[in-house]
Amino acid sequence: MSSKSKETIRGKAAVIGIGMSPVGQVPGKSPLWLAANAANKALADAGIGRDQVDGVLCGHAFAAPFHRFSVALSEYMGIRPTFSNTLQVSGATAATMFNIAAAAVNGGLAETVLIAGGDSLLTGMTPDMALRSMTESRDQQYEMPFGIPVSNTFAMTAHRHMKDYGTTAEQLAMVAVTQRNHALRTPGAQMTKPITVEDVLNSGLVTTPYHKLDCSLISDGGAAFIVTSAERAKSLGIKKPIYIMGGGECYTHEHIFLMPSVTTTGAVQSSKLAYDMAGYGPKDIDVAGVYDCFTGTVIMVLEDLGFCPKGEGGRFVQDGGMTYGGAVPCNTNGGLLSFAHPGIPGALFHFHEVISQLRGECGQRQVAGAELGLVHNLGAGFATAATTILGTENTL
Amino acid sequence: MISMEEAMKKPLPTPDGDSAAFWKGLHTEGKLLLQHCRKCGHIQYYQQGYCRQCGAEDLEHRPASGRGKVYSFSVVYRAPGPAFKGDTPYAVVLVQLDEGPRMISSMVDCDPEKVAFDMPVQLVCRKAADDITLPFFKPL
Repeated sequence: MSSKSKETIRGKAAVIGIGMSPVGQVPGKSPLWLAANAANKALADAGIGRDQVDGVLCGHAFAAPFHRFSVALSEYMGIRPTFSNTLQVSGATAATMFNIAAAAVNGGLAETVLIAGGDSLLTGMTPDMALRSMTESRDQQYEMPFGIPVSNTFAMTAHRHMKDYGTTAEQLAMVAVTQRNHALRTPGAQMTKPITVEDVLNSGLVTTPYHKLDCSLISDGGAAFIVTSAERAKSLGIKKPIYIMGGGECYTHEHIFLMPSVTTTGAVQSSKLAYDMAGYGPKDIDVAGVYDCFTGTVIMVLEDLGFCPKGEGGRFVQDGGMTYGGAVPCNTNGGLLSFAHPGIPGALFHFHEVISQLRGECGQRQVAGAELGLVHNLGAGFATAATTILGTENTL
Repeated sequence: MISMEEAMKKPLPTPDGDSAAFWKGLHTEGKLLLQHCRKCGHIQYYQQGYCRQCGAEDLEHRPASGRGKVYSFSVVYRAPGPAFKGDTPYAVVLVQLDEGPRMISSMVDCDPEKVAFDMPVQLVCRKAADDITLPFFKPL
């Protein structure tokens, strides 16, 4: 699986606009409104009109009944794209949209692609229904009859990681504490009060080893991006295009019981593909967005992305490796644990944050001199993994 | 989105062409069938038309011993929707069967908070509907 092809998307596509709807608790707004609101902001940020969009990529929304969300959003916004798809690889969907958009704008399928997602898991559904709807993504024959929440698939992997590597409940909690501290500096974040390790451990068990504060939020919100070719970004006079430097994906299993290793994930391979394409390694990454549906997920993935040796993720987090001054500041907006998690848009927020960091627009939470960023998305009990590496012009 | 009425019911398997023999084995004989590949010897759970290791179609159903160990587990305190609310806490287990394959199930006849890594477990068949029996596990 080393060099797939010499002709790659490296540096050939750029993100020229980003946008985000209000997030957290946003009552009275549909998933389409949230996506369109973010899309309009992304278009304004890029300085182009919706008539210039000829490609639309979206993920699904739990609270909206559309089978073809990307087509519904196009209609809602008055766009008639000639390239469109609604992708579904659960939590990994966001990164796949960036990888595919980069390929599309360089393969003649589209000139300017709108990537968007919106959902209202918090006010558009009851908590019971939101959790059950997510559980519907497990296999109806061999998993669902046993009352397995999606959280449980991730919990079992973290649990085994604790047994095999001595990762502790306190180290898991430290992920939540670190990200809450990040969220305190993020305007609009859903969670705004500082927490301690003790708070996490006393927040009530959800599914062992996870307590309530080890779990990501349930939110409303939307995010959107405009991707075009590097050439077109230049001709449009975009001030600070952020280039897609590398992408990789990996799908190791569908059923959790067929995960090849319960403690090592597809991030090993997806990130290797992305690093190889970009021509950079984990030590070069200045800022990262690491999918954080649960605290233990972050610890396992930090290892698999090569930021620390296997089994040392817990210590890495405890020693401040994922915050300012550490090896790689991660989830600087607070992430899914403390900023917001409306489903598919959650991982799009990671892109929004990393791109904002690379543009130097993060104010008091800016990572100084950030030039190269990585976003890793995953989903469905580590069934899906996708990595995208982004960089400024200096990294080309 | 599923309806509230649907969400109140526990999900049950709908056997298909690949899995009919598996569910029949549990329901009529109380046996957990595994597929053995006659070509490469691979043993697989769940039931399907091809060997996942070599791609051969020459698969034979053989009953498992029903014994295994808990490879990992998670005790559920917050149910995944309304249908399982009355059951909490319960232990969902990733069982490593003695024959090799892993499967997802949940524990019965035990204190869920006493479930531990590598705990030996034994298959328990429980009727869940007129035509469906589910494979659970209990401590051996």
